[in-house]
Amino acid sequence: MRVRIEEIGTGQHPSEKVVKVETIEGPEQLLVDKRSIRERSLDIGFPVGQKNGHLLVELPRETFSGLWRVWVDEQMVVG
Amino acid sequence: MILTDREIRLAIQNRLIVIDPAPNEKAFSSTAIDLTLDENISELKEGEGGLEQAIDPSHKDFQPERTIELVSRKIIIPAEGYLLRPDVLVLAWTKEYVNLVSYNRVAARVEGKSSLARFGLAIHVTAPTIHAGFDGHIRLEMVNHGKLPIRLRTGIRICQLIFEQTLGTPERGYQGQFSGQGG
Repeated sequence: MRVRIEEIGTGQHPSEKVVKVETIEGPEQLLVDKRSIRERSLDIGFPVGQKNGHLLVELPRETFSGLWRVWVDEQMVVG
Repeated sequence: MILTDREIRLAIQNRLIVIDPAPNEKAFSSTAIDLTLDENISELKEGEGGLEQAIDPSHKDFQPERTIELVSRKIIIPAEGYLLRPDVLVLAWTKEYVNLVSYNRVAARVEGKSSLARFGLAIHVTAPTIHAGFDGHIRLEMVNHGKLPIRLRTGIRICQLIFEQTLGTPERGYQGQFSGQGG
């Protein structure tokens, strides 16, 4: 499954992109390889939790604030 | 449990571990695989005299990549190599793209090479774990702790990757009770 993201910048290496994920607590940013991005989404495997229409997903890399797992709206997960 | 060369080869053949470009025979040792240095590096600048600067990682507006851009300069390693001076921090990358498939039971650690460590070269700063599901060029935080500059050239064997089998499949790789409920 994949989580929707928005590309917001580039990293230090030509292969890197900075992306933003909208979580229920606000946006989180992380650095990913551009090969990871497909149709404005990132592979997250399967959700690891569910509560009140929200899904707990593990991102492929640590966010800039140090998180791996974030709660997102169900509509943010596709596939 | 650390994967041996035979197990690493099998995982590569089965596309459970992707390394691109594919490593040649000399890149393998019994329990690790060597990766090489990419031509791109970012050298962190030294502070200027009389100017006090500090990084505030917990600030609500903190942007790590923007900060790195402000305090570093991008360099393409020239043919004669890049001279890494003592106590200078550079960000570097492996030439190889690595993908540890998320449903595979493998994580990895990136570690230095003793051939370079003996001259003081550290290739990461306390963040060696490559988690299951990682994909990308591995970012190295390199510091020369030695007394003499070290000349780094593109393509040198810069680090080694040690693969470890996890006990069980991570939750995100397991199609459990929450599968099929998104989107």
